Amino acid sequence: MRTSLNNLKLVDNHLLGLATPQDNLLLQAKVILDPALTDDIYWHKQTLSLVHQYSRKQLLAEIENVHNQLFTRPEHLSFRQSILRFFKR
Amino acid sequence: MVKTVKREQLLMELYKSAFPAVAKYVARLGGSLDDAKDVFQDALVIYYEKAVTGNMVATDSKAYLLGIAKHLWFKKFRDNNSTQPLQHDLLNIADEADEHISTNKVMHYLETAGKRCMDLLSAFYYRKLPMKDIAGQFGYAGERSVTVQKYKCLEKVRDTVKQQSLSYADFIE
Repeated sequence: MRTSLNNLKLVDNHLLGLATPQDNLLLQAKVILDPALTDDIYWHKQTLSLVHQYSRKQLLAEIENVHNQLFTRPEHLSFRQSILRFFKR
Repeated sequence: MVKTVKREQLLMELYKSAFPAVAKYVARLGGSLDDAKDVFQDALVIYYEKAVTGNMVATDSKAYLLGIAKHLWFKKFRDNNSTQPLQHDLLNIADEADEHISTNKVMHYLETAGKRCMDLLSAFYYRKLPMKDIAGQFGYAGERSVTVQKYKCLEKVRDTVKQQSLSYADFIE
């Protein structure tokens, strides 16, 4: 892999808690030699956060889809009726 | 398009087995069907995230989901007993990065222009699928090529996030 991808791997492992102590030392040294790497680490963190938000949004959409299937499709009529019975006042 | 059939099947099974007990509980305490749906769906997200990270202690998924849903319902009832969406305050995902990042424009951009990369990164970081499975789902020859692709995607998305973030005045809040 090219250098930028190797640095990315180093940062990724560090942020995920998967880096060895030696790798963490190496990263510290690289940050001292190349201050721009600090910037990369910041944006890397933001990216992981966005990936998490994106993924959760996808999961919630799938859950909503399952709910809609259960509450609209004829094959789930008895399930639907059993649920609605709880909310009859 | 990434196959999500297995996950959908799992969600369907969990919904059918565990939602009735949650609905009954919420109804008994005066909640509506929408309340039951909200707490159950949030409970499912928590359940899923714990399961994929290997932090799941419980073996009875139905009892576990009911337990989380009861907790969420209690919290909702205590905090506001209103219609405020649960995701924002109950799903505890906020970290330092979330405080600065707005999902609107950048997320929309990534959902369209960078969807394939986002799906690949999601498969790795969120769904925690084995590299072999990710390679199969995304059509890569093997684990080596999908690993390289993952880092290329990460670099591309990171640079996009940086670029887009700095372009949008309303991005940094």
